[in-house]
Amino acid sequence: MASMVANGNQDGQSLVLKGVDPETCMIVFKNHWAQVVKILEKHDPLRSSSTLPSLSMINHSAGSSGGPRFGPIPGDEASAVQNYVEHMLFLLIEEGSGQAGAMGPILEFVVMENVMERLFVWSLRREFTDDMKLEQLKMYEMLVGQAHQPLLHHKPILRPLMMLLSSCSGTVAPQVEGELVLLLNQLCCVLAKDPSILELFFHTSEDQGATNFLIFSLLIPFIHREGTVGQQARDALLLIMSLSAENNRVAKHIAENTYFCPVLATGLSGLYSSLPTKLEVPNEEWHCLHKEDWLQMPSLVQFLNSLEFCNAVIQVAHPDIRDQLVSYIYNGFLVPVLAPALHKLTLEEVMTTTAYLDLFLRTVSEPALLQTFLSFILLHRHDSVHILDTLVSRINTPFQLGTVSLALFRTLIGLYCEDVMLQLILRYLIPCNHMMLSQRRVVGERDCYSVSTAKILALTPSCCSPDHSPPPLRQLDSILFSKGAETPSNTSTTEENDSFLEEDDGLGNSCTIGSEIYLDVSYLHYLYDARLSISSCIRACQVWSARYDGEDPPPEKYQPGVLEEPGLKKPPSITQMELEWDDSYDACPVQTDEAPVESKSAQQPPAELPKHIQEMRKTAIMLVKGSYIEENEFQDDVMVYNLVAKKDSRDVERGRLKSNRSESEETQPGSAEVALQNGLNFNSHLQITTTAESGDDLLAQYEELIRTLDTEAVKKPNADLKTPVTPAEEEEEEEDEMDFTSFSAETPEPEKLQSPFGSKFVSGSAGRSHSAPFTGPFVSVLLSRLENMPSNSLHVNLLLTGILAKLAAYPQPLLRSFLLNTNLVFQPTVRSLYQVLAIVKNQIEEQAATRKDFPELITAAQHWLLARETSFVAAGDDAGRMLKSSPPPKLRAISLDRTEVFAAVLFTEFLKELAAIAQEHSILSYIPMED
Amino acid sequence: DRPLWRPPIKLFKRASPARLPFGKKQLPPIPKNAAPITKPASTGTPAQSANGTHASYGPFYLEYSLLAEFTLVIKQKLPGIYVQPSYKSALMWFGVIFIRHGLYQDGVFKFTVYIPDNYPDGECPKLVFDIPVFHPLVDPVSGELDVRRAFNKWRRNHNHIWQVLMYARTVFYKINTTEPLNPEAAVLYEKDVQLFKSKVVDSVKLCNSHLFDQPKIDDPYAISFSPWNPAVHEEAKERMFTYKRRPEDHHKGTQVSGLSWVKPGSTQPFSKDDSPPQS
Repeated sequence: MASMVANGNQDGQSLVLKGVDPETCMIVFKNHWAQVVKILEKHDPLRSSSTLPSLSMINHSAGSSGGPRFGPIPGDEASAVQNYVEHMLFLLIEEGSGQAGAMGPILEFVVMENVMERLFVWSLRREFTDDMKLEQLKMYEMLVGQAHQPLLHHKPILRPLMMLLSSCSGTVAPQVEGELVLLLNQLCCVLAKDPSILELFFHTSEDQGATNFLIFSLLIPFIHREGTVGQQARDALLLIMSLSAENNRVAKHIAENTYFCPVLATGLSGLYSSLPTKLEVPNEEWHCLHKEDWLQMPSLVQFLNSLEFCNAVIQVAHPDIRDQLVSYIYNGFLVPVLAPALHKLTLEEVMTTTAYLDLFLRTVSEPALLQTFLSFILLHRHDSVHILDTLVSRINTPFQLGTVSLALFRTLIGLYCEDVMLQLILRYLIPCNHMMLSQRRVVGERDCYSVSTAKILALTPSCCSPDHSPPPLRQLDSILFSKGAETPSNTSTTEENDSFLEEDDGLGNSCTIGSEIYLDVSYLHYLYDARLSISSCIRACQVWSARYDGEDPPPEKYQPGVLEEPGLKKPPSITQMELEWDDSYDACPVQTDEAPVESKSAQQPPAELPKHIQEMRKTAIMLVKGSYIEENEFQDDVMVYNLVAKKDSRDVERGRLKSNRSESEETQPGSAEVALQNGLNFNSHLQITTTAESGDDLLAQYEELIRTLDTEAVKKPNADLKTPVTPAEEEEEEEDEMDFTSFSAETPEPEKLQSPFGSKFVSGSAGRSHSAPFTGPFVSVLLSRLENMPSNSLHVNLLLTGILAKLAAYPQPLLRSFLLNTNLVFQPTVRSLYQVLAIVKNQIEEQAATRKDFPELITAAQHWLLARETSFVAAGDDAGRMLKSSPPPKLRAISLDRTEVFAAVLFTEFLKELAAIAQEHSILSYIPMED
Repeated sequence: DRPLWRPPIKLFKRASPARLPFGKKQLPPIPKNAAPITKPASTGTPAQSANGTHASYGPFYLEYSLLAEFTLVIKQKLPGIYVQPSYKSALMWFGVIFIRHGLYQDGVFKFTVYIPDNYPDGECPKLVFDIPVFHPLVDPVSGELDVRRAFNKWRRNHNHIWQVLMYARTVFYKINTTEPLNPEAAVLYEKDVQLFKSKVVDSVKLCNSHLFDQPKIDDPYAISFSPWNPAVHEEAKERMFTYKRRPEDHHKGTQVSGLSWVKPGSTQPFSKDDSPPQS
C-alpha cells in the first residue's frame, strides 16, 4: 500500500486511490506523521509535542533573525520530512469528506494534531529561504486547489496559511511571487465559490493583530504587473470585487482601509507616463489607434489592461468602491495627467494624446467610468477653458491633429450620450433661435413626400449623375424597378417581360408603381443602412431625458447654466494656446518670402470660404514640406478657434450685435476677407494678456467675421442655392367645405413666411449670447471643413461625411430638422448643411467644367474606391464577384492627390446617404419601435 | 388591439456593394419575401427623364410617401379598422372594418383601397368594398364608396389616407342620403326606415357569410379570415397580449444603449443626482 502511494507521488496525479480503503490510508498517514514528529521533536528546543509554542513568538523571532537557532538541521532529516509530508498531503487531498459534510478522518487528525502549524514552524526553524517559501506555497497551492473536502474552514489549517502569506509580503523573488499570486488566485476562487470563508479570513487576520484583509492586500502590488502574474492577480482581485458587491464588510474594508483605489488610479497615471509621447504615424491617412496599432506597443497594451481592469472593477464592485475608484481616476489620472497631456506643446504630442483619449473612450464600456471620462471632457477646465471647447477648436487645425480630433468626435457622437450631444449641439438648438420664429412648428413636421430627399439628391453634380456614369458601373448598379414581385425567381428573363401585368380588379383600378425604371441599387443600401442606424439610435436615445423637439425642453426656459456662466470664464492664458511646432519643424529653414504657391490654390473657386482655413492649410502643407514656418499665424488661428469655441458663452450686447449686423449687410463682397485679415493679424500675446475687454473686442470682431462669411455664402451661389430658402410653394390655402375639421391636426398648414428679422428677434430683450443665432462651434467647424471638401483629402472627407451622417441619424426633431429639413427657414446668420452642400456642388461643377478629362477621372476614382471597398469585404463575397465581372482596369490610374475628383465621387455618395437618412426618418421616427 | 407591424420594404436586394463605405460596412441581408427582378441592362433602356438625375428616384419617393401614410394610419389607431398594403403594390391596400354599434352593428366589411400612382398629387384614393354593402353611398354594383364627396380635391399635406378610412367608418354611423350612389337605399332610409333596417341586416348577414371566402385579390398580404384554430391563433394572440403588458421589456437585451446623466427638466449635462462622482 505504501509503495503504491510512493509511486503515485512520483507520478503526480496519475495515481488513483480507488479501492484503497480509508482506514488503510489513515494508518499510512499516521505512520508518516509519527516519523515526521520524531524528527521534529528531535530539533524542538522545547521538546514538547503536545503544547505548541506561540506562533507569533516564533514568527517574530524567525523574522528577526531569519536563521536557525538551534544549530543546522541535517539535510537527510529535512528531506525525509519533506518526503513524508508529500505523501501525507497526497492522502489528505484524496480524502473525501465524511457523512453529512463531516471531516474525513485524516483531516480530523490533521486538525487535532495541528499538523500544518507544526510543519510551518518546522520550516521556519530551518533557514526560511525563498526555496522554503516556495515549497510551502506549493504545498498550500496543492491543498487549496485539489483537496476534495473544504479545508479552509479549519483554523489549524487557515492560520499557518495566513502566517505563510504574511511572511511572503514584500517578497521580491519572481519565482516566489509567481507562486504566491497563483495561490492567492486560488484562494480567491475558493472564496468566490464559498463566501462563508470570508469571515474566517478576516478573523484570522485579527488573530494576528492585523486588521487588513491579507489576501487582498497581498494582491494589490501586482495590479499593474504585466504578464501572467499581473493577469492572475487582477483576476483574483476581480473575484474579491464581486464579493464586495454582496458583502458590505469587504467593501467597507477595501474602501476605507486599503489603498486599492488610489493604487489603481495612480497606477494608470504611472503607466500613462511610460506611453510614447509621440506616435510614429504610418501615413497621412492614419487617424485613430486600431487594435493592430496598439498591439505592437507593449506599454499601451499594459495601460489598456489596467484600464480594462478598472472598467471591470467598476462593473462588479460595491458602489462605495466604484465611486471611490472613479473619483481617484478623475482626480488622480484625468485631471493631473491627461489634461496637461492634451495641452502639450507640440502638435505631435497633442495629436498623440488625442488619439489615446479616443482609444480610451472606445475601450471603456462601463457607464460609470465612461461618465467619468465624459464629465472630464465636458466639465473640466484646463486653464479655464473646457476640454471640450479645446477639442472642438482642434478639428480645424491642419495636419493630423485635425483628423485625429475628428475621429475622437466620431467616437463621442457614437456613444449616443445625451450629455455630449447637449453640449456639442443641442444646447444651441433648444432656444430655436437658429430658425425663424414662424418655423418652430415645422420642427416636428414629417417630410411625408420625401421633399427634402429630392432636394438633397438634386444637388448631385451633373458629372456624377447616374446617367453619365460609365456602363460597367451602371450595369452592375441598377435593377429594374417594377411592381413585378409576383414573378417567381426562377422565371426566365423573357417571361419576365410579359409578366409585368397590371393588377386589375375589373374596375380599372390599376396599381403599378412607376414603370420600368432603372434605379441606383446603391441607394437601396443607403436606405437599408439609414434604417439600421436610425432605429438603433432611436432605441439608444430612449434613455434620454427629453425629446428635443422644440417643445421639450421648452425653448423659452433654456438656461445656459453654470457651464456657460460668463463670470466663471477667464480669458485663456497664453500657455494654454501655445501649440508650438515640434522641434523637427524648427530645424527647417525659414523662408517666408518665397512661399511656393500651391497648384491647388489656383483653381480654387471664388466661393470657397472661409479664406483663413485655406491659408492655414496652405501654410501647413508648405510647412510639412519643410519650406517655411510661420509660427505666429498658426497661433493666431488657434486662438481664433478657441474663441469660436467660447463664443457662445460670452455676453454679447444686443445693441452692438444689431449695429454690426447692419454694417455687415452693407459691406462689399470683398470686405469679408478684409475683416478676416483684421481678425487674424493681431498679435495674440499682446491682445490676450492686456484686458478682458480686448478679448471682447476680439470676440465682436470674430462674430462679425463669421456673419459676413455666412451672409456671403448665402448670397453668392446660384439659383440652386436659392431654392431651399424659399418656402414650399405647393401649399394651398383655400379651405375645404368638408366637415372633417380634425384632419388638419396632423400637419398644420405651414404658416406664411415672416420677414427675415422676425418680431421676436428684433425686439428680443435678453442680452445673452445664447439667444444669438448660432448653432455652436462644433457644427460651424464641421460645416466649414465640409465646405472645403474638394481640397480635403479623401480620408478627411470620409471622416467628415461619416460624422455628419451619424449626426443626421439622430431622431431628435431639433437636430433632424436642422440637418435635413430643406424647407426650414433659418436665420440669415445660420448656415445650414444644405447651404454648404450647395456650395460644394457648385465648386465641383466649376471644376468639372474646367477640365475636359473630368468624367474620365471620375470613373477612375469610382473604380479606385470600389477596389478599396473590396479590400474591406471578405473574399468570395458579392463584391469580389462584382469586381471580377468588371472590365479589367484599363482605366487610367488616379492619384489620391486629385482630391477634387475623389471629393466629387464621395459627395455624390454622401448626398445619397443623407437623402436615404431623410427618407427613412419620414417613416421611422413616427412609429412605435418594433423589434 | 392591433399588432404593430410594418410590411417589409420590397425594394431591398442584396447586390454588389456599390456603396462606398465609411470604414467597414455590413451588407444588408435579403429581406424575406423580397424578390425584385434584376435584369441585365441590355434588355431594356433606362427611362431617363428630362428632369435630370433624380428622376430615377421617383419610385422611392412614392413608396416612402405611401409608407409614411401607412405609419400615419397606425398612429391614428382608428377603432375597428385594419389595413395592410398589398405585397405586390404599395398602391393597393387591403382592409377590413368592424362596425360595433348602430344600424350596421356586427358588420365586418372587407375592402380595398386604390391609391393613384401620381399620389399625392392625383385624385383622392378609391375605397371599394369586396361585397357591395347596402348603403346610400356605396355603389350597389361595384361596391365603391363615394369618397370623393368628402375629399372633392385631394390636397397633399392636408389629406391623408387615414382620413379616407375614418370616413369609411363614419358613413356607417351617420347615414347621408344626398346624391346617393345607391338611390334605393337612400329612398328607403328616408321613407321606410324599417325596411331599410331589415335590408341592412340582410346585407350584413350576407357580408359576414362570405367572411371565410378566399380573398378577392390573390396577394400574399390580402386579408383572409379563418375559423378560430387554437393551434394557429392561440400563440399569436398570446404574443399580442404579452407585448401589451410589458412594453418596457421589449428592447431589453439589445446591445445598443444610449447614455444620459441629464436630469429631466434640466438642460445641464451631468445634472442627475447620482452624477458627478468626483465632486
